[in-house]
Amino acid sequence: MLRSRTDRDANSSMALLELAHVGKSFGPAGAQTVALDSIDLVLAERGFLAVVGPSGCGKSTLLQIAAGLMPADRGRAMVAGKPITSPPPHVVYVFQQYTKSLFPWRTVLGNTEFALEGRAGIGRGERRDRSLNLLQLVGLQDFAAHYPWQLSGGMQQRVAIARALAADARVLLMDEPFSALDALTRLDLQNLLLELWAARNLTVLFVTHDVDEAVYLADSVAVLTYRPARVDELIEVGLPRPRDPITTREQSRFLELRHHLLSHLMRRRSADERVHA
Amino acid sequence: MPKWLAQWAPGALVIALGLWGIEEAVNHGLVKRSLLPAPSDVGVVLWQLLADGDVAGPLSETLARLGVGFAIGAMLAIALGLAMGYWPRLYDLLEPLIELLRPIPKAALVPALVLFLGVDNAMKITSIALAVFFPIVINTVQGARGVDPVLINTARTLGVRPFSLLRKLILPASAPFIFAGMRLSIALGLILAVISEMIAGTGGIGFLIIDMQRAFRVRQMYAWIVILAVVGYLLNLLLVLAEHRMLFWYRTTERT
Repeated sequence: MLRSRTDRDANSSMALLELAHVGKSFGPAGAQTVALDSIDLVLAERGFLAVVGPSGCGKSTLLQIAAGLMPADRGRAMVAGKPITSPPPHVVYVFQQYTKSLFPWRTVLGNTEFALEGRAGIGRGERRDRSLNLLQLVGLQDFAAHYPWQLSGGMQQRVAIARALAADARVLLMDEPFSALDALTRLDLQNLLLELWAARNLTVLFVTHDVDEAVYLADSVAVLTYRPARVDELIEVGLPRPRDPITTREQSRFLELRHHLLSHLMRRRSADERVHA
Repeated sequence: MPKWLAQWAPGALVIALGLWGIEEAVNHGLVKRSLLPAPSDVGVVLWQLLADGDVAGPLSETLARLGVGFAIGAMLAIALGLAMGYWPRLYDLLEPLIELLRPIPKAALVPALVLFLGVDNAMKITSIALAVFFPIVINTVQGARGVDPVLINTARTLGVRPFSLLRKLILPASAPFIFAGMRLSIALGLILAVISEMIAGTGGIGFLIIDMQRAFRVRQMYAWIVILAVVGYLLNLLLVLAEHRMLFWYRTTERT
């Protein structure tokens, strides 16, 4: 009943990011904890996939494997048809901890320019122009000379997004990027992300523990199980776009999905608690 | 009373009382003048040294050696420290050796260095560089190993290559630790500059101190000791000011 198709159907375009039977374990041999069991996820170009699951279920591990920051123990992780062995170009990670992912000794402009430095054929002037344009795009044109620690959390995360765009990101891997922000700021940034996603043809893999956020943003939502993580369910959202921060959340489809996902997660949680007790 | 004056006044008072106490002790014959002259007598000699410009030659000689030795030692230490912090294998390889060499008082190596390098600048600068090297390398390693993985991973997904990563990320992120190491080192460097000049000297403050002592010119000897105290204080102050200027971002971020 919950399955439906959208016009951005995953099957109709090329798979840009593909995880096939991806597994990962931690700890010493013999006493290993299986973090990821066997993850299968396909993300089409210009797709928006949200991954929800309980805290500590291995969502970040999944993203780090996709980012080439951590090798998978089992299975295949591929971007644009190529196996991921090191951080692939055009795939950028956006962390939850924006205070730690920005360079405190660089200005907002300097942080954005960082992504363009060392790139062939881009001189100092062009680097600056491009960065200023991107800062304007995220609404920070007046803060270029500020330092990150002089900005609010929402503004800092905007800098991180501008920097990701400066790196010419085609795929954004977002690890609970808005979960440390206050509710209104989070709504602002969700909409900024949707605008940028549509305008710049981005592909987004978005990890969150917030069911509302997942349904509001994504084309499809993957629900992970708790340790070891598997894809328990993959749901097509099917809400019309552009989405509206108020009215989209009032639609019956939104409420239906929210109900389904929350009860699913809560049911699993109590089952897991029985197992792990 | 301004705040800074209220802060400094008690400490200055203690120094003044100490000097006055020595002055009185010498004037009342409690201490032999030939061992410890009255501070006012030392002050007069000090004034003459400054007024005649006689301080400039020996001071610049010692400072030049210290500067060159410090620069060489610090640059090698920072480069090695960053590399060791970044590559765990290099750390495992070199850490035991460094820990073994570190506790040797570097002054004890000066006679050996004389055998290899003679008594001229090569030996003196090497002694200073050796003394400066260890505190900085150890602090740099600690700073480089402590860089937040989120920051490193961010840079990696932005496509930064290892050498740029060291220069643009690990170096600035470790700078607070490097500065702490440099402040320890500058004092050690000054010690080695003076000792090496005492052991094998024809000039510089260390040589003058021992030369004046041998010539029973005790007031001159103490005057040069006072000059060393001021030099050490000013060098530290210089580093603190440089640190404040370069690490403007550090205190602010640590607080949040």
